[in-house]
Amino acid sequence: MLKAKILLTTFTVLCATSSLCAQPALPDWSGAWQRLGSTAFDPLTVEGQGQSGSPGVRQYPPYNEEWERKYEANLALRDAGTYPDPISICGTPTGFPRILNMPDLYEFALTEHEVWIIQENGPNLMRIYTDGRDHALPEMRWPTYTGDSVGYWEGDTLVFDTLALLSSEDGPTILDRTGAILSDAAHIFTRMRLIETNILEIALTIHDEKALTEPWLVTRQYKRMPEGTRLYDYACAENNRNPVDLNTGRTLTLDADGEILDRDPQ
Amino acid sequence: MDRLGKFRNRLLILLVGFTGIWHSSFAHHSTAMFDQSKVKEFTGIIKEFQFTNPHSWIQVYNDETGEQVEWSLEWGSPNRLIREGVNPTTFAPGAPVSIRTYPMLDGAPAGLFIGARFEDGRTVGLWDN
Repeated sequence: MLKAKILLTTFTVLCATSSLCAQPALPDWSGAWQRLGSTAFDPLTVEGQGQSGSPGVRQYPPYNEEWERKYEANLALRDAGTYPDPISICGTPTGFPRILNMPDLYEFALTEHEVWIIQENGPNLMRIYTDGRDHALPEMRWPTYTGDSVGYWEGDTLVFDTLALLSSEDGPTILDRTGAILSDAAHIFTRMRLIETNILEIALTIHDEKALTEPWLVTRQYKRMPEGTRLYDYACAENNRNPVDLNTGRTLTLDADGEILDRDPQ
Repeated sequence: MDRLGKFRNRLLILLVGFTGIWHSSFAHHSTAMFDQSKVKEFTGIIKEFQFTNPHSWIQVYNDETGEQVEWSLEWGSPNRLIREGVNPTTFAPGAPVSIRTYPMLDGAPAGLFIGARFEDGRTVGLWDN
């Protein structure tokens, strides 16, 4: 018994004082980060002038005919200023992958067992399990905003895949304000790594057998903000003077007393 | 899309990223209600600065028509504004101010805030002269 205790103590001391039992070091993604580029989700295929909400701006996801028609219908609503953005009601998360496409700042919290993507806008949070677990069993998962993500570290690259995502066909999640959407069959494979000390790259390979004819490859980059940059509360419902009618897509404007300012709100 | 098209789009993304910084802070909702082809300028008195989420609002009394009308000027969220040097005291109630805004298309007394100039020459937001 005494021998066993001595052995255990020796092992514990050795582990604590050497690299024998140490976990591989996680990369340094500390600090605050800002997405580079416009609010259009796919920088490689975007065309038109302005942000994703600007008339005429569109992308070219490899949609099949049916989903290209859905996208074109959304683009027409966007051009008319009546495409309803689900997050404008201040109550639902952006969801994945749109969480990667927000204009406010990010933090990436890395631990041995789990990674959190924290987005200031919303705020929004996404969990990625890296402790070796598999996806939840089919009967234990259902479509959610950020889905079910599991992954691992391949050197300094975080590799994970995400499924069980809410379909955006009926509006709960979108990719951007052009009206780009995915189905509930979306299965997204993601790689995140530093390509420079202060530039993080996220590469997505999006599979969606209902909506896409081939995998959609999307890459976004993020720059590290100056040391000491703070993130703040967002609290979207604090003073939302722009309620959105999700049936008509119309965004209203309220005065300081909560009365509708629009002269033709119908 | 051919390679030339992709290259053209990459250039466009750079330009949009540069010129779109100001209004990209409006992530929360569409800006379709504003006439961004027209700049309205008026002088008034600050009533209140709502430094709140999801967007801030500057309430300004405008009496250019001979009748006092309260204007609502929408701006960015506090987290983005404070990183640009704006804070809750930037618009003190009672201060005379000149305002530039993209007005609402339907003529309602509201707009997307562009910039302001105070009597002492201090400016806030975009004010070129």
